[in-house]
Amino acid sequence: MRGNHPRFEDLFLERRLEIRVAEGEATASCRVDGAAVRWRFGSRSVMHAAAGVSDRVIEGLLSRYSYRPSVPAVSGRDGAGLEPPEGWTAWARGVAAGFPGRSATIRYLQRQAVVIRREGWQPVNAPGLVRIEHDPRRGRALLAVWRRPELGDWIRRLIEPPPRRTWSPPPGLKGPIVLTDGTAGPLLHELVGHLAEGDLVAAGRSPLIGLGGAALTEAAIDVIDDPGRFDLPGAFDADDEGVTAQPIPLLRSGRLCGLLCDRETARLCETRPGRGRRADWRSPPVPRLSNLVVTGGNHTADDLVSGVDAGLVVTRLAGASVDPVSSRAVLRVERGFEIRKGRRRRPLSRCELTGGVTEILAGIDPAVGNDPTTDWRLGWCVKDGMPLATGSEAPTLIVRNLEVL
Amino acid sequence: MATRPDETHDSRDAAVVVAGSLLADSSARRWEIFAKQSITRQTELVRGKLDRTLEVAECGVGVRTFDGLRAGFASASGFGRPAVERTVRAALAGAVEADDPMPPARLIGSVNVAPGPNMPARGWAQHIGNELELALASLSDGRIGLERLIIQEGRYCWVLATGEGCVIDHQRVAASILVEIRVGERSGLWREWLHVADPETFDPAAAAARVGNRALLTEHDITSDHGLHDLILHPEVSAHLFAGIAPLFLARDEATDPLPRLLDPQGLLAAYAVTVVDDRADASAPVVGPCDGEGLPARRTLLLDEGAPRHRVASFADARRFDETPRGGAVRLSYRDCPTSGFANLMIVTDDGSPATELLAASRRALYLLRPVGPVVCDLEADRYSIIASGVWLKQQRVCGWHPVVELSGGLGAMLRRIEAVGTDLGWYQTAVGFVGAPSLLIRRQPVVG
Repeated sequence: MRGNHPRFEDLFLERRLEIRVAEGEATASCRVDGAAVRWRFGSRSVMHAAAGVSDRVIEGLLSRYSYRPSVPAVSGRDGAGLEPPEGWTAWARGVAAGFPGRSATIRYLQRQAVVIRREGWQPVNAPGLVRIEHDPRRGRALLAVWRRPELGDWIRRLIEPPPRRTWSPPPGLKGPIVLTDGTAGPLLHELVGHLAEGDLVAAGRSPLIGLGGAALTEAAIDVIDDPGRFDLPGAFDADDEGVTAQPIPLLRSGRLCGLLCDRETARLCETRPGRGRRADWRSPPVPRLSNLVVTGGNHTADDLVSGVDAGLVVTRLAGASVDPVSSRAVLRVERGFEIRKGRRRRPLSRCELTGGVTEILAGIDPAVGNDPTTDWRLGWCVKDGMPLATGSEAPTLIVRNLEVL
Repeated sequence: MATRPDETHDSRDAAVVVAGSLLADSSARRWEIFAKQSITRQTELVRGKLDRTLEVAECGVGVRTFDGLRAGFASASGFGRPAVERTVRAALAGAVEADDPMPPARLIGSVNVAPGPNMPARGWAQHIGNELELALASLSDGRIGLERLIIQEGRYCWVLATGEGCVIDHQRVAASILVEIRVGERSGLWREWLHVADPETFDPAAAAARVGNRALLTEHDITSDHGLHDLILHPEVSAHLFAGIAPLFLARDEATDPLPRLLDPQGLLAAYAVTVVDDRADASAPVVGPCDGEGLPARRTLLLDEGAPRHRVASFADARRFDETPRGGAVRLSYRDCPTSGFANLMIVTDDGSPATELLAASRRALYLLRPVGPVVCDLEADRYSIIASGVWLKQQRVCGWHPVVELSGGLGAMLRRIEAVGTDLGWYQTAVGFVGAPSLLIRRQPVVG
């Protein structure tokens, strides 16, 4: 602060492109540009945002107060804007035609941004993404980085109809649950990722508060939030406050060791920033995770299943959520099997699994799979109504404190 | 300068003129231009102290085209000529072979909507925050702590113009408040979203009662119970339950329609007490406009009539595809979105309802579900529901204990047909299917394991 002047924090410029294709419908393209300026008046923050990234818009935003900050010039801002990759629309039309009953919507999502601070400017790049929604009433969807080699296989699995004869596990069933095919990623995204976000921690709302350094699980897993993994949807090379992307370890050998913070909560939590993410130019940055990566162990997934006498194996999730207030997590199972005497038996009906946050973590078996697998189903993460792309990769884990709802 | 609706009305209309002239010279036989501008102000108070202010000005254009064979859609932010030209070009370039998705000119029209209130004066948000804090303190003798208030005020205007010369122009003010309170340490944070139909008549004491009364019930000792209980759903739980069954009210393909399997032999989905509408003509509801998202006059569509399914909501294209009468069931959330079938204000009718206190008194042994603590899941194909909620046990009309997390599941259709009475305490909630207005519901004899 100088005198009564507000303190200029940053100017954020963003361009977004969304192309949407659905069978029998027009190819819809949407281009949205916007700019936002953040100021600080003592402890109060103010953000003004407007559509467009023209000089006129930026000048209008920077001149809101009698004090107009000088900001560095940004080169390349007048470019032609974002374009979809060549051939994407034809590819998407072909994919849409492969889904039964005109039931799929395929989107290409791309964004570019620049964060301008007094000291300089930082471009923000993220990979182009493909999102497919198939039968949205049942939440069947896919989110992946465009050109990921496995994309074709994931689409085939998304189209695959569910098994006809399924078994509903009885409510209250509490046995070992084997989370395989990357399904442990969304669980740890909820339990560790969200609950290590700086806003929850700074407000005293995370059940992980006070557990820094403590072993949350017997499994000697490392859980790292890594925006540098450009093969996963939550990637970026700098966050939306201009902090260069670095991996942040959250668990080291099962012990809580890190938090995910934007600049403001990093100051409050006395840690480093780097996870200030915006839903778009209209929203201020808030602490959000990027790609949650869990290290693998020494066991094959088959070995882990064969060691279970009676339980469930989950191969695909339809959703996951955590409620910091009740400290409970819910996993919505889309596909899986009953395990009897170490073998996969009847396919599961859709069901929900629930448990307390710290109990679930404490109940993760020390035997960890050697098969870190990308989750392609979830990833479109919504917090406080703000959606963001995230990713996860995790090996097979056995969890003992989950209960069928 | 930053965009402000009153200053850029001319730019909005100029953008429509530019788009119209480009389209008139194009291959498009029919077209529709939607231009919208809005300004929203969000004030956030943390423990009574002004913490953050956001002010967002947005504008943009969306264009639909049909050239006799192919339909196109594109949108872009801004009212400048380059943005408009790019939008028109993209709509024409992205067109694919399809039926004409736009309603014929003879169906387009509008109804008179009551003039909206003015945008509250600057400082209203902070004033309301202080008043709410005082009202909550007085309601609870200081036992309720007001953690955070987010007050949103918005002013928007849009114009819908078609190639046949129809023009519908609309402007409106909207306001809402998100309140976060804490009662003691045990029950955590309580969050309530309040729709403010008219900022000038907003009553902080009534709002405080709505926010605080149910949270205060959690001050009782934690107990558990089981067996057959009556269930009383707080409006928030009811809203999420009806959001879960809302897909049943959308027009769809007969082959995949789960509705027939959910009906009882009398053709009822729910009990006689339940009537559901999508009301686009109610000036006090959250989404108000003279027409639906593609220009059909705003109306009230009866979806469930005393438990029996009646009509379904559909955009013009979906109505034609699924052989429904077009009733104006399109929603257009912003200029960025192509109109789709959806709900504006999905509402359980409370005209014949009873005050919530009577519902609470009508049961000798009940579980009163206060709020969901996990997603309310309705599996329409499997005829199952599950609710994870926080509730209190009632015996002889007295609260005898609080259960922080109770899990209920069972047959969906059977549960809907056991709704004996609806309350009059309608509240609006934001859900996955849009705004849902719901009252308290009394459901008889549900098995409960708590």
